[in-house]
This record gives sequence, C-alpha cells and structure tokens, in this order.
Amino acid sequence: MPLLDIKNLTLEIESTQGWIKALDKVSLQLEGGEVRALVGESGSGKSLIVKSIVGAIPEHWRITADRMSWKGQDLISMSSDARRRIMREDIAVIFQNPVNSLDPSASLGEQLMESIPDHLLDKGWFWQRAAQRKQIAVKLLHKVGIKEHSKYLQAYPSALPDDICQKFMIASALAASPKLLIADDPTRGMEVTTKVQILKLLTRLNKIRGLSILFVSHDLLAISNMANTMTVLYCGQTVESGKMHQLRRRPLHPYTHALMESAPSFRKDLPPKSPLATLDGTIPTLQHLPIGCRLGPRCPRAQRECVKVPEERRIHNHFYSCHFPLHRSLK
Amino acid sequence: MFRFVLRHFNLYVLTLLVLCIFSFWLAYLFPGDPLVNLTGLTLNDPADYQAMAQKYHMDSGILVQFWHYLVLLWDGDWGFSFSSGLPLYQEIFDSLPATVELSTYALLLSLLIGIPLGFLAGLRHHRTTDNALLAASVVGYSTPVFWLALLMILLFSLQLGWFPLSGRISLLFDVPHDTGFILVDIWLSDMPNKGAAMINAVQHMVMPVLSITIVTTAIVLRLTRRAVVEVMPKEYVQAAYARGLSKHQVILRHVVRNAMLPILPLLAMQSTILLTNAMIVEVIYSWPGIGNWLIQAIYQRDYPAIRAGMLAVSTLVVSLTIFIDLLARIIDPTRERGARAKI
Repeated sequence: MPLLDIKNLTLEIESTQGWIKALDKVSLQLEGGEVRALVGESGSGKSLIVKSIVGAIPEHWRITADRMSWKGQDLISMSSDARRRIMREDIAVIFQNPVNSLDPSASLGEQLMESIPDHLLDKGWFWQRAAQRKQIAVKLLHKVGIKEHSKYLQAYPSALPDDICQKFMIASALAASPKLLIADDPTRGMEVTTKVQILKLLTRLNKIRGLSILFVSHDLLAISNMANTMTVLYCGQTVESGKMHQLRRRPLHPYTHALMESAPSFRKDLPPKSPLATLDGTIPTLQHLPIGCRLGPRCPRAQRECVKVPEERRIHNHFYSCHFPLHRSLK
Repeated sequence: MFRFVLRHFNLYVLTLLVLCIFSFWLAYLFPGDPLVNLTGLTLNDPADYQAMAQKYHMDSGILVQFWHYLVLLWDGDWGFSFSSGLPLYQEIFDSLPATVELSTYALLLSLLIGIPLGFLAGLRHHRTTDNALLAASVVGYSTPVFWLALLMILLFSLQLGWFPLSGRISLLFDVPHDTGFILVDIWLSDMPNKGAAMINAVQHMVMPVLSITIVTTAIVLRLTRRAVVEVMPKEYVQAAYARGLSKHQVILRHVVRNAMLPILPLLAMQSTILLTNAMIVEVIYSWPGIGNWLIQAIYQRDYPAIRAGMLAVSTLVVSLTIFIDLLARIIDPTRERGARAKI
C-alpha cells in the first residue's frame, strides 16, 4: 500500500469570473522510503498541492478528490482531530517561505520546542520536561548545521537571515521524526555549501530512517541527485510521472522534454554561447487557463485534439497525459 | 534601545513645549490684560500690579516672559481662578484624579468586554456572530455620549430608580481627600461605614462608567476584530496548524499575541476619545472631575482656568499616548526598533 495516494485531486478557487480549477485532476503516489520530486514552473500549483495535503487551504476553497489517503485512511472525510494527529506524528512540512511561516512574535526556540511531541520526552516530572525539550531542540539544531544554538534559540525571526530561519523550519519539521517529509523548496535562498549540507542530511535520513520525502523544487540538479521518482506538473495538471532515470533518459511528454532541455546542467553536449532551448510564451495566469491540455498554446506538437483533456496513459510505471507523446511520430 | 527611548523622550519634551507655548499665547489671545489672564488676580492696587508685573517680567521681551512662565509652571504656581479665587494647581489636581478614575474603570471594562468579543467576531469572520457583533458595535460607536447618558438617567434613575442621579458619593459620607481616587480613598480611610460607603460610591459610578464604556468597547471590538481577521490567514498560522497543533493551541500561542501587539498603540490613541467622552459625561452626571471643572470655567469665562486646564488635560493625553507607544514598541519583537517616535 502506498504511503500517500492522491488520485484526481481538484482544487477550485473562487474568483470574480467564477470558480477556477487551480489544480486539475492531479495524481500523486508516494511509497514508503521513496523520494519523489515534484517539479514545475512557478505558478504551476506545486505549493497548492502541498497545502492541500496538509490541509492548510482557506475554508471557502473547494477541494475534491477520487482518493486522497494516508496509509489507506481517507484524509478528506477524516475528522479534523484524526487528521491533526497524522500531521503531528507522521507528516511534517517545510514551507516555502521560512520568514512568513514563522511566528514573528515568538522566539525561534519556543517554536521549535513546540513542535517536539510529548511522546519523545521520557516520563519525567513536568518541570523536567522543559529541559528535555531544550536538549532535543539543541540536538536538532546541530543536526541541521546550526552550531551557535544558544544565540539563535532566544532570537526572533525578524532578527535572523533567511537561511537560518529555513534551517529552523527544517529542524522543527524533523522534530517529530515523521514518516513523510514534504519539503517545499527547502533550500531556497541558501548558499551552495549550506544547500549541499541540507540535501545530504535529507538523503541520509531517507537512507537510514527510511524517511519518505516529497521534494518540491525548481532545482533539477539537486532533484536528479536525490529523487527516485518524479512528477512533473504544468499549470495544475500532472503531465508525466515515473522513475527519475526513465524520465531523464526518455521523456514522453513534450513539456518534460522542454523542461529537461532548458536546464543547461543536464546537457553535456551544450556548446558554449549557444542559445538555450525554451518553450515559447509563459505559463498562463489562473484567469486565462486554456481548455483541454493546458500546455496546448505553447506545445510544439499540439494539434486539434489537444482541446480535449488527454487521458492518463501508462507504460509500466511511467504515466503521461498527452495525445501526441514523443515516442509516437506525428501524422 | 537607548536611542529609541531617547527619541520618545525628545518627542515628549518638544510636544510639551509646544503646549506650553500655546497656553502662554492664550493669555495674550484672551480679552483683557495678559497679566490678569496669567495671574488670575484682579489687581486694583498699582503696587500689587507692579509686584506682579515684576514677577512675570512683563516689561522684558516675550521670550524672557515665556521662560519665567515655564519656571512658574514648573514650581506649581499656575495662577488663580477668577471664579473661586483658589490656586489653579490645587484645583486641577483635586479634580483630575476623579476623571482619571472614571476613565480608567471605563477603559478596563471596555478592554475586558471588547477584546474577547473582538476575538469572537474575528474568529467567526463573515458569520452570523460576527455580523451581529459588528452591527452592535456600529450602534455603540455612533451613539452620542451625552444623549446616551441622558437616556440612562431617564431610564435607570428616574424610571427604575436603581442608581443615583448625579455626583460621586452620597453627602452622608465624608470621605477624606487622600489620593483623589474615591474607591481607593474609602479603602484607605478609617470611616465607620466603609462597606456602605463603598457600595454607595460604586452605585454612583455605574452609569457614568457604562456610558463611556459603550463607545470605547465598540472601538476596542472593531480594532481587535480587524487584527484577528488579518492574522488568521497568515502563513505562520497555517504552518502552526500544519504542525499538528489544535485550534486552541494555535489561537493561544500564535494568534493572540500577534493580534494584540499591533493594536496596543492604537488603543493608546483612543485615550483622547476616552477622555473627551469622560469630560462630557462628567458634566451630565455632575461628576467632580476636570471636564466638569473646565466646562464650568468656559461658561464663566475664567481665562486663567481655561489656560491651565487645557494645559493639564493635554499633558495627560500626550503623556499617556507617548508612554503606551513606547511600551508597545519595547515589548514588540516584530517591529523595527530604530523607527522614529510619533504620536
């Protein structure tokens, strides 16, 4: 049984022009111990998927799914209390924007200790618990590479640089030793050395503890080193998903192909000063979504059939949604 | 931190200086002899006049006069009242505590009612509870205080006879004037019927305090509601939910503090409205406070009293505002410390 199983997740947002499907039939599966990358341009709804999984979306947005389950338990119909327990014990999230995701009026230590669940403390008297919490917090900080813990535990988020805040977010996400870590752009705004350090930490946790990671990022190079599987998202639709090496070697969807082409570090044969491959146009805004396959207007292979949403097709474990995939020649 | 306190101190001193300039100027603006307006004495004897002119340095330049005016203000020699002939310093500091007492109770009561209701409305944003509270607060906010006070007198003291009509305490009780706060005075005194006096004083206080409270509560409610509505969709609140905290934990640990910090200075701003309302209410309930005293002085064209009373009241308002603003910034870790002080 997959750890996290999402089938046809649709998220609708109300706007002045009526309801807009910000996520359109997104499917995502995550096995235990797997590192899955979730890739897409900015504005493709990556963070919305993260927010729908953790339930941090405004109440008036409509969320529907054929299946959205955690270890077989349905997340949507579940009581908020049960869902909270799963969030507390099994799933941890690193949000995209560390400074906004930390309470500006509470010290970082306070917030880090808050996310340490009670069952990790050994049964002492209640006055010993604060000290135990602090010990665990300091250990966590050392783990994510913060050495001067006493200086930062007292500090407020506004007084610290972004990458320290981000490390605190990571530390507090790891506090409950979760089974699944959802990392929404965890290395954003970090220097290369700290970035490597964090990625190594995550990889190690995955190898040693069997932590599953849903890794949301733009950074294709980091992803290709870490992830086993990848889901590519365009404009709120899943376009392709499968094993990392399969997708890299032989992408089936034109968008995946263009995405790989656009990353210079992926192409070893790139001559100097040659223009980089790009798709024409930009990602459409939510108010002007095309019907059918949303890549349509930008797709080099688009034909008349593309105004209908393509069915998801599969070749073994490789899923793609395209009428004219790259392995079939155009008529 | 030091720089920050210093900036507030600068602002305070400069504002007080402007107030002093204005009150000094008033002596010249009012009809009649400036010297008479400053001293409050009718100086018929030329020798007395000469002596007073000497004391106020009337023959020197305006700046020297102002300097000596400041010195006299500092020494507590504020002149005399036309109508009562008593020293103004004495009169003002006898009546000011009554106003401060009234406003303090009204403010505490309105915070006690307004903040929880504001949270309730903010957490139930756009639902029936919210709309009902908002409607009630609009009614409370837009009711004129003097009219409300008269209605309350009509209903509660004339029709129902629950509360006394006016004054601070029944004439039967002789409360020594010690701190000026009547409840504290009764508590400290060794009167024979302390309990009865306390009950009587509280009965006198109910209606004036309530009339001020209604308006202030409406303001506090609206401010709190807005702050809560702004904080609730913030990412850190969502992140706290995602960390698996319960709704109560999220609200107590993250929402309350973040909502209250920005409205503390805004509440300080309301002290002006609070004091103005208190002064109006005092007149209607014959409460022996500064407002009642000042309005009597205006009726009687008691120029020295108007000058000194205006200075005292505005000093109180400015001190309160700047002090609370400073306090709010010191305890608020989210704000930039170096920001300039402002009223």
